[in-house]
Amino acid sequence: MKPVQRGYYTREELEELGVFPPREELEKKRLCVIECVEEIPCNPCAAVCRSGAIIKEGLCKPPVVDWKACIGCTMCVAACPGMAIFMQWIEDGDGYVTMPYELLPEPKIGDRVQLLNRKGEAVGEGMIVNPTYQARGDAYPRWVVTVKMDDPDLSYEVRAFKILE
Amino acid sequence: MIAIEDWRIYEHPILKFDRGKEVTIYLDGKPLKAYKNETVAAALYANGIREFSKSIKYRRPRGFFCAIGRCSACMMEVDGVPNVRTCVTLVRDGMRIKRQRTIADWAAPFLGMMKLPPLRYMKLFTRPGFIYEPAMKIMRKFTGLGSYPEKVPEVAPSGGYQGELSTEFLIVGGGPAGMSAAVEAGQQGVDTLIIDDKEKLGGQLLKQTHMFFSDVKYAAGKRGFKLGEELVEKISKLDNVKVMTQTSAVGYYPSENTMLLKGPNDTTLKVKAKKYLISTGAYERSLVFENNDLPGVYGAGGVQTLLNVYGVKPGNRGILLGTGNVALIVSYHLLQAGIEVAGVFAPSFRRVRGYFVHAAKIKRHGVPIVTRHTIVKALGKNRVEGAIVTKLADYGKPIPGTERRVDCDFICVGVGLNPAYDLVQLFNPKMVYVGALGGMVPIRDRTYRFAENAYIAGDCASIEEATTAVLEGKLVGLYASQALGHGDETVPEKIEEYTRALEEDRGSPFSTRLREALRDITVEKIEEALK
Repeated sequence: MKPVQRGYYTREELEELGVFPPREELEKKRLCVIECVEEIPCNPCAAVCRSGAIIKEGLCKPPVVDWKACIGCTMCVAACPGMAIFMQWIEDGDGYVTMPYELLPEPKIGDRVQLLNRKGEAVGEGMIVNPTYQARGDAYPRWVVTVKMDDPDLSYEVRAFKILE
Repeated sequence: MIAIEDWRIYEHPILKFDRGKEVTIYLDGKPLKAYKNETVAAALYANGIREFSKSIKYRRPRGFFCAIGRCSACMMEVDGVPNVRTCVTLVRDGMRIKRQRTIADWAAPFLGMMKLPPLRYMKLFTRPGFIYEPAMKIMRKFTGLGSYPEKVPEVAPSGGYQGELSTEFLIVGGGPAGMSAAVEAGQQGVDTLIIDDKEKLGGQLLKQTHMFFSDVKYAAGKRGFKLGEELVEKISKLDNVKVMTQTSAVGYYPSENTMLLKGPNDTTLKVKAKKYLISTGAYERSLVFENNDLPGVYGAGGVQTLLNVYGVKPGNRGILLGTGNVALIVSYHLLQAGIEVAGVFAPSFRRVRGYFVHAAKIKRHGVPIVTRHTIVKALGKNRVEGAIVTKLADYGKPIPGTERRVDCDFICVGVGLNPAYDLVQLFNPKMVYVGALGGMVPIRDRTYRFAENAYIAGDCASIEEATTAVLEGKLVGLYASQALGHGDETVPEKIEEYTRALEEDRGSPFSTRLREALRDITVEKIEEALK
């Protein structure tokens, strides 16, 4: 089955597409990972990127990231209408993923979460370290939540979470 | 004892529901709690009532399908008036609602067995003339269409219009296309009237809680309902744009160039306009399967209306049919309201038909997306209790033996839309069937004119995104102002800009067929094409 039939890409397929920054860069700073592979008419990511790291050659062209320029501001995570942009980094052996969040309950620092991968399978537990509500006027109102996990490899897999009671 | 059910959503991650103050309505004499800003159908639904009417011939239970006043499965007797579409009627304190029962109700189980000829109350007993009226009185009792009371109940007049009116530009349909056209035309100083059959402008925009794609210059990055609110506010600031809500266009007479409108409380209004814009949107398609009329089978728009406008849960666990963007987005809306989605079943073969990102965002929350599957049967007696789905072989044939049961309490059909061309046809245009555009559409010229004095925009011109509807509406607003001799010198510039934006919007591989189809049905001069 092709990814478009299943509704998800595997990590290997995304690696082939060059979605992930090199590991040594991820160990240095927070970087954006854009899992937007189709040609659809959309450009908020490139419009909000203040460092010019996200480049769209045309309205319908998939975005290309210049990781050297990315400052990890998370604005694109809030702005992506398709919820396809994430931030990833590795610090002191822990993996971190920043994700957009539009569900209930409201995220709070220290909340334990169940980590979900692209298929919706539970792959472990993590902790919310930095929930922020981002908005620019009426545009891009959304929670942007960073979750910490023990296994840095998991940060390549985790794309959603469920807050545990 | 009657269990007290409340299906309202009180906590939502995006929306805050303004329900207004509490009122009491009576269904068949039983008091129910409702809120002022709810429609009758939403209030009944929130109280756990699923059956609204019965089908005319076999008296099968019916709930609503569309919730936007199109399907007529929600007709009930309200305050003595029969056949009221409860899904577009707001509640009032002390309102009395009755199910339209007939004397043949007890016979319902037998009617199916006997295969009676349909009760064609339109054709039977028409001759000789004198038996028509007494026969009709009896026939109506059998059909369950209700009958008018002897005395017409007094209804408090509330903002109805009566008489005649002339205007420069009449816009039928207050969705994204209609509102954008009103804003552009209004800014150019055109005397404009915009009508919509709902209680407020906004159309389907009001139900969209997700952020839009497209260019940030126009709509992208804003949630759909915010965009709707913005347009409504822009319209309210324009003095030359008049708004009539709860008003439908019921006829157009080309020889007199007059459109007949029906307003609230049975008021009628004749409007003569120099230019018309038809932006009536679309109808939802249904799917053929056994029991597809059970209460609990809804159109995607019906579910969105319940969920995002009135904040009422359609059920606790549902399945979606179709994998267009609409079906995928509705599943996400359901997740946001805390409702379980048991699966998205798609009869499509090669792929998820919507954008991949929409599929990915529900998949990662554990919603199964099952392609090459369709539903064969809805289970349940008076409401949906489950569904039987089956795998499809090539060419859409079900594979025997692959049927399986899925537990759910509602089924949402999101298999696409058909342009609502009823009003378009009255202008005597050249209609063609174009699959890529969703159905019957008129031939139009480059300025979106399909008749000498009428324009078309939005989903009734071609089934597309709201963002393209907005751009089309803007363009029509400008073209109409030009044709009416109003536009200032910025108009050609704006037209060029929006046309370019529209082309860019349609530039993705998703729109290849659409682009070709639009090219095929667009002509240079509409007058010549109509000859």
